[in-house]
Amino acid sequence: MKPELNRYRLLVLAGICLLIILFATMVSNLLTQVRDLSSADEDNIQWSISQIDIEFANLDAVLTEQIAAQTGFSDQLQLRADIALSRLNVVNSGRAREIYGDSSEAAELIEKIEVFGDDAVAILDSSEPLDETDLLELKRLVRDVRPVVRELALLGVRIVAERSEDRRAELAGQLSRTGGIAIGLLILMALLLLFMDRLLQRSVRRDAALSASSKQLASTVAASLDAIVTSDSSGRIIEFNASAERVFGWTRNEIVGLTMEDTFIPQRMRDAHHNGMKRYLETGAPRVVDAGRVELAALRKSGEEFPVELNVTTTHDGDDTKFIAYIRDISERKINEQKLIDARDRAERTDKAKSQFMTVMSHEMRTPLNGILGVLDLLKTTPLNDQQARYTRIATSSSEVLLEHVNEALDITRIETGNLQLNSEVFDLTELMQALVELFEPLANEKNLAVKLNINPAMQGPYHGDSGRIHQVLTNLIGNAIKFTEDGEVTLHVSGIHGTETSSLRFEVIDTGIGIPAEQHEQVFEDFIALANSEGRQARGDGLGLSISRRIARAMGGDVSVKSVEGAGSVFILTLPLRRTEPETRDDSDNLAQNAKQAPTCNILIVEDNSINRSVLCDMLTSMGHTVREAVNGEDCLQKAKNEAFDIILMDISMPVMDGIEATERLRRSNGINARTHIVGLTAHGREEYRERSVAAGMDRFHTKPIRLEALQNIVAEVTSKHLSKPDTAHFPEALSEMIDLLGSAKVANIAEKFLSEIAEFTADLRVASDPLDTLAFAEAAHRVKGAASLLGQIELHDAFEKLELDARDGNLTATQIWAETLEAEAAKSKSVLDGAINRHANTP
Amino acid sequence: MAQKHYPRIYVVLFMLLLSLITPAKARAEMMLEVTTSGSNSATVEFSLQDLDAMDQVTFSTSTIWTDDKVTFSGVPLKALLTELNTDGTSIEMVALNDYKVTMPLAELENDAPIIATRMDGETMSVRDKGPYWVVFPYDQDPKYRAETIYTFSIWQLKHLKVVD
Repeated sequence: MKPELNRYRLLVLAGICLLIILFATMVSNLLTQVRDLSSADEDNIQWSISQIDIEFANLDAVLTEQIAAQTGFSDQLQLRADIALSRLNVVNSGRAREIYGDSSEAAELIEKIEVFGDDAVAILDSSEPLDETDLLELKRLVRDVRPVVRELALLGVRIVAERSEDRRAELAGQLSRTGGIAIGLLILMALLLLFMDRLLQRSVRRDAALSASSKQLASTVAASLDAIVTSDSSGRIIEFNASAERVFGWTRNEIVGLTMEDTFIPQRMRDAHHNGMKRYLETGAPRVVDAGRVELAALRKSGEEFPVELNVTTTHDGDDTKFIAYIRDISERKINEQKLIDARDRAERTDKAKSQFMTVMSHEMRTPLNGILGVLDLLKTTPLNDQQARYTRIATSSSEVLLEHVNEALDITRIETGNLQLNSEVFDLTELMQALVELFEPLANEKNLAVKLNINPAMQGPYHGDSGRIHQVLTNLIGNAIKFTEDGEVTLHVSGIHGTETSSLRFEVIDTGIGIPAEQHEQVFEDFIALANSEGRQARGDGLGLSISRRIARAMGGDVSVKSVEGAGSVFILTLPLRRTEPETRDDSDNLAQNAKQAPTCNILIVEDNSINRSVLCDMLTSMGHTVREAVNGEDCLQKAKNEAFDIILMDISMPVMDGIEATERLRRSNGINARTHIVGLTAHGREEYRERSVAAGMDRFHTKPIRLEALQNIVAEVTSKHLSKPDTAHFPEALSEMIDLLGSAKVANIAEKFLSEIAEFTADLRVASDPLDTLAFAEAAHRVKGAASLLGQIELHDAFEKLELDARDGNLTATQIWAETLEAEAAKSKSVLDGAINRHANTP
Repeated sequence: MAQKHYPRIYVVLFMLLLSLITPAKARAEMMLEVTTSGSNSATVEFSLQDLDAMDQVTFSTSTIWTDDKVTFSGVPLKALLTELNTDGTSIEMVALNDYKVTMPLAELENDAPIIATRMDGETMSVRDKGPYWVVFPYDQDPKYRAETIYTFSIWQLKHLKVVD
């Protein structure tokens, strides 16, 4: 824009300069011409020259007259002669000489005239008076010179005419030059005018465009939905658009001239605003300015504060900085946001409440189920006639179905809330499958169906995974297969492919039942979808079973799918990726199974607030031959555990007064006699919810209610088998060498000495003991020594004292002499072991 | 323009001159005749001496009739008319050869033209365009180099006549 403007100005200036030069040239030309025209020297000279001839004619006439009259020489003649002679000077001097100057012809004529002049003067100025002869002579001279004079006069006229011709030509040239200059001048002026016209047009167009764009801008600003406020650098408001009037409640006329600080910036922000603006003007460092959209608060005229979204930009008008603020009233939006948040929170609360309700409901349902199943199990152990036995069986299976439903509902809740947890543990596939077959065989037999198991030998072997969940899914699939098959067989087929670390396993449950129409293949996996059969009874799917199965399978990285031909049967396929492990020896589990039957008598504490559950558990354990104590809550448990050592504590987790978690924590911290007792957590809540908390609290295992007789037997067997297992103590038990490492051999030697002296004291007491025995005192003492034995890794001694303690508590402590001998023998063995270990460690650096 | 009247003027002057002719070889002194206007019209004659007695104006100038610059001295025409206390619109000037020209009195300035009696300090003979010659200071101003001025510059002045 600017360089262009400069170019135009330069062009105009150059044009004007050219004009001035042309004009000056023209003026000087014109002046010259005027001068030439005004001086008329030659016209007069021409006149003078032409007159010469006349003067000579006059002289001639006077001479002729005088000669004729014979009056002699007169003054008249003298005057005429003088006048004629005076004219000779005219051609000889001044401008006339200049005119004749270059002409040789003229020079010749002038010479002749001069000769005449000299002769005439000689006659006229002679001292003698002139006589007739002189006059005749003079007349002859005049007659002779007249043609010459005439010729000269004519020549003069011709020369002057020529000269004026030249002059006119020159003048004409000069005139045409001047005219040319004048034309040039006019053209230039015309060009300049054209140029000016163009510039004018352009500026008019620009003006129009500018005014259009400014109108457009004004209308944009006026129509803007955002409030637009313009202020100068001091914060004084210059512009305030219609939206701003609406948003702030000020009219434009009221607010223009006031400052933003005094009007719509809230009191608490005024200082910050003031400093911010000052800082920006001083340093140019923006914070709010040019920072994009910022959320702040503003004030309406009514004094009400409301949230705004603000975008401030600046423009520089010369040295003055203007701030333009685009302000959007977001109070509506904020209210809506809050509404949405509230709605979401409400929905979340409702959802949580629903889950909570489901959880609580299932808990509430499981607690009575626990009672029913427990009592039914106990009932089966009593003598029953056939009918009673059948009723009991039906009641049991119905209760089991009900329990399954409750569990499924809980599973759905858990899956939906994302709380499904998978436990990875080693399991044996063959074992799992065989257990399933055994589980379903009675049901299948009832319908005269065969259940076949077919495992690809390559796929046998232990895997890592949640066997419980796999069991759950397969139970559902097999249950369905049996339910919807009237005759034929149900086949379980396990195949798969081994990957590098994981194997893709494929469990197929194949039935020869009614089948599922192709269009319903996906429907069966939806929640609460049950396909009706022809009799209108519930058909495939238990409402939740298949959908849960699929969800669980997918959670484990696999899937459940179906292939079916209506009327020919269905194949439900569970595919699962499972991590492989090295096969374990199966001896342990055999031992475990044996141990289950031959579990030693244990002292067990049941902590449970529900009296039915408590009594069922109590009866179950008592029937297994264990001694049982009962506590109604955590506090009661702590009280009971203070004075009596237990082998196992069955601890309900949710109880009034003090729950199982807290009771376990306190017990573990107490360093009392039951600090290390095996604690089994029991809960009617979902398996996962309390698992972590209970483990953190110090529980050894965790079981979901209802706990069945078989499960109880297994738990007790497992706990006791650990106690009964006897590691090789002939060498250096781990506990002992650890202790020596930790405390040093000298200190351990001290402890060992004290330990042995305690045993000696104990045996001495035993020997001198007399009826009736203080069994409790012996039990306590045995318990203390047992702990020390365990600490030093003396398993034999530990077990012996444990047995003694138990006997003492049961009041069966007899044959004290034999006990004393046994203990002394064991102590001697331990002494040699301890000494050996301490010495060996002492000798090694 | 003056040329047109020449034949008639010539005849009148010729008759006038004839009466003045004296048969003497010595040249009589030329007098300047001035005829005033109005009811008491009269003709006054000025001799060279009369003119010399009046205030003189001298200037140097070139002319178209002379070669170099020359110095003229004489009596301003205006001063002469003031002396005669005459009034009119124009003045008729007549030369020895009866050349006649009329000049408006408005043309008269205080110092121009003058009736020159001397050129370069010498009186002028008839052969030398004398004895009286009306001259302007031509070099002084371009306006004196105009054609009318040249026609007013009359040689061998003989008679002046103020016309109403």
